Amino acid sequence: MLEIRNLTKSFGEKKAVDNLSLEIKPGEIYGFIGHNGAGKTTTLKSVAGILQFDEGEIKIGGISIKEDPIACKKILAYIPDNPDIYEFMTGIKYLNFIADIFGVGAKERQERIKKYADPFELTKDLAEPVSAYSHGMKQKLAVISAWLHEPKLIIMDEPFVGLDPKAAHILKEMMREFCDKGNAIFFSTHVLEVAQKLCDKVAIIKNGKLIRSGTMEEVRGDDSLEEVFLELEEE
Amino acid sequence: MFKVLFKKQLYQLNQSFFYDSKKGKLRSKAGSIGFIAFFVVLMVGVLGSMFAYFSAMICKPLFSAGLGWLYFTLISLVSIMMGVFGSVFNTYSSLYQAKDNNLLLSLPIPVRYLLASRLLGVYLMGTMYSIVVILPAVIVRLVVAGFSAKALFGSLVLMAAITVIVLILSCALGLVVAKVSVKIKNKSIVTTVLSLGFLALYYYVYANAYTLLQTVIQNAQTIGEKVKGMAYPLYIFGKVGEGELLPLAITVLCVGALFVLTYILMERSFLKIATSSAKTVRREYREKQTKLKSADSALLSKELSRLLSSPTYMLNCALGVVFLVVGGIALLFKGEWLVDLLIREMGFGKDFAIVIGTLVVCMLTTMNDLTAPSISLEGKSIWLSQSLPVSAWQVLRSKFNMHMLLTGIPSLFCSVCVCIVLRPSAAVCAAVLIFPLLFAALFAVLGLVLNLKMPNLNWTNETSAVKQSFSVLITLFAGWILSFIFAAVYYLLFLPVGALWFMVIASAVVTVLCALCILWLKKRGTEIYKNL
Repeated sequence: MLEIRNLTKSFGEKKAVDNLSLEIKPGEIYGFIGHNGAGKTTTLKSVAGILQFDEGEIKIGGISIKEDPIACKKILAYIPDNPDIYEFMTGIKYLNFIADIFGVGAKERQERIKKYADPFELTKDLAEPVSAYSHGMKQKLAVISAWLHEPKLIIMDEPFVGLDPKAAHILKEMMREFCDKGNAIFFSTHVLEVAQKLCDKVAIIKNGKLIRSGTMEEVRGDDSLEEVFLELEEE
Repeated sequence: MFKVLFKKQLYQLNQSFFYDSKKGKLRSKAGSIGFIAFFVVLMVGVLGSMFAYFSAMICKPLFSAGLGWLYFTLISLVSIMMGVFGSVFNTYSSLYQAKDNNLLLSLPIPVRYLLASRLLGVYLMGTMYSIVVILPAVIVRLVVAGFSAKALFGSLVLMAAITVIVLILSCALGLVVAKVSVKIKNKSIVTTVLSLGFLALYYYVYANAYTLLQTVIQNAQTIGEKVKGMAYPLYIFGKVGEGELLPLAITVLCVGALFVLTYILMERSFLKIATSSAKTVRREYREKQTKLKSADSALLSKELSRLLSSPTYMLNCALGVVFLVVGGIALLFKGEWLVDLLIREMGFGKDFAIVIGTLVVCMLTTMNDLTAPSISLEGKSIWLSQSLPVSAWQVLRSKFNMHMLLTGIPSLFCSVCVCIVLRPSAAVCAAVLIFPLLFAALFAVLGLVLNLKMPNLNWTNETSAVKQSFSVLITLFAGWILSFIFAAVYYLLFLPVGALWFMVIASAVVTVLCALCILWLKKRGTEIYKNL
């Protein structure tokens, strides 16, 4: 589903991502962990086609993001670390805007909005302007908009930040259900317990370099993910 | 403690002098001094001298007619209006919407200190605006009608009374604004319409100020009698300026009592207002049939929503819509007079009038600078259009389309009015319709080019993306300059050739410039956009 080969991205002198390679197969929830400034967001933004990278190749569903970015973006959804969505729109107007861009039919969009907004208890607030939403509500709206067009791959940067425990639980269930249908999720998190419980595979990045990746069992062995992570950070 | 609070309040009021919100850092010492100097020149030099001129016009005739009190009444009313309108929105935000209310209330600070420091801030702001009117008027009075200790004392008391009245009215109006604003649904539209109303009123008063003042001077006795008969307190108030002791004592007592009453009311309600959240009318979503749109149409709708959500954007970059429509209507009513002036009185040919008319339409189209801040206005949401399955060119095109939609239709209307009034031949008529459209298209793409070259995505207040944008400034002035250049070229080179050939060649030049900008946007501009 997602293939990253030798990804390198520099900001001036500093290499934010250095020769990173990994592959995500259909059905996998792939966690991406690392310290602040390790290169997680840069990698995720490169995959989402927001950031132009210097070297390497990213393929989504076999299509190169460099060669055909629009075809790639049609099958992926991206949720940034801060849900800076159009504050001048109401929630429903924003969802309709996303649905229009992805060409989601009227019946399907109504069904999906109801399906995803109801559990998050956001349906009644959809007529309100996004500017009146709390951080958590904006995050919920960003999640609904990502699921709205039924992508094959979802890229999420710290998706649980700002969500209340119930919403976080619902999101975890949505993620599992989404991947059980043969889709894939690549997300970053600092909550290692969540990563340990939720992810099929995990990658650890340090100073732009991938230092460990694989199935959860391969990465952590008999230790907890937290112990492994802290150990690798100290090396 | 009060001193600390007041210092903080003063700093907040004058923050823009010391802090550059665009760059997010403190201004240099020289920058702050320069900015303060600019403000002083604007307030004292421009506004102060304007009111000094108006005061000088009415001072001598009124004092000669023994109506010195009417002079002070009129000037005081203008001063109070200026003070209240200048500070009412500051009152609303600093008293009822202060973001640090919660923080300060959590600290061991007596509420009365907090209220007093905020009120003092409001007082200073109102004083600043009202003094710009009353101080020049007092100086003019002392110079024109002669200096006396009694007159000086009366004027000083009057000035003090005016500043307190401004504070009282600002507090009352601030409360009204606070109450009304939570009930308005389309705040941005209402704000824009009200602002345009004020703008129209300002231009009307400004344009008719001379006539109004002449009317006052000519009918001073009658007006004086009417004011005295129907609004006696205004007579008393005017008498204060002349230093009359009884009116002075009555005014001081009344204003003092009103102030005490206001303060007591404010003290009682402040905590409640400051700590309660506004009761907004919550709109509940009800499922309804949605109209499907293509990606291009959705992007255009998004641009229009962005515009309609922001009074700053509308008032600074879409005024051309109003000017083109108003200009067209004005031309229909005053066209004959204009034709007489240009052709019969000034001796210009009909072709000249047609070219000038068309170039004025062009100039008015450049009052719309919708594309110039449109990329900056994406702000932190730019990731959205970058991550969606639309090309960068589609995004830029949607901004261009919005500009043309809102400029093209009013421009056509205005051009049709030019044709109705000047009745050119069919070929020239076509040129009159097409040339302003091409002109508008050029400045739409130029706005995009400039904004891509000078984007500001890190704004915290959208005003800095619109008002402090070089792309907006350059686009606006470039439009005017190009219109003047075309007028000069026509006058110097094309007068014998005629309007048609001039407009054909000018259209070709504008089309080439437009095509060059589009080529740059498609090749270089889209790459810049992707990397923003």
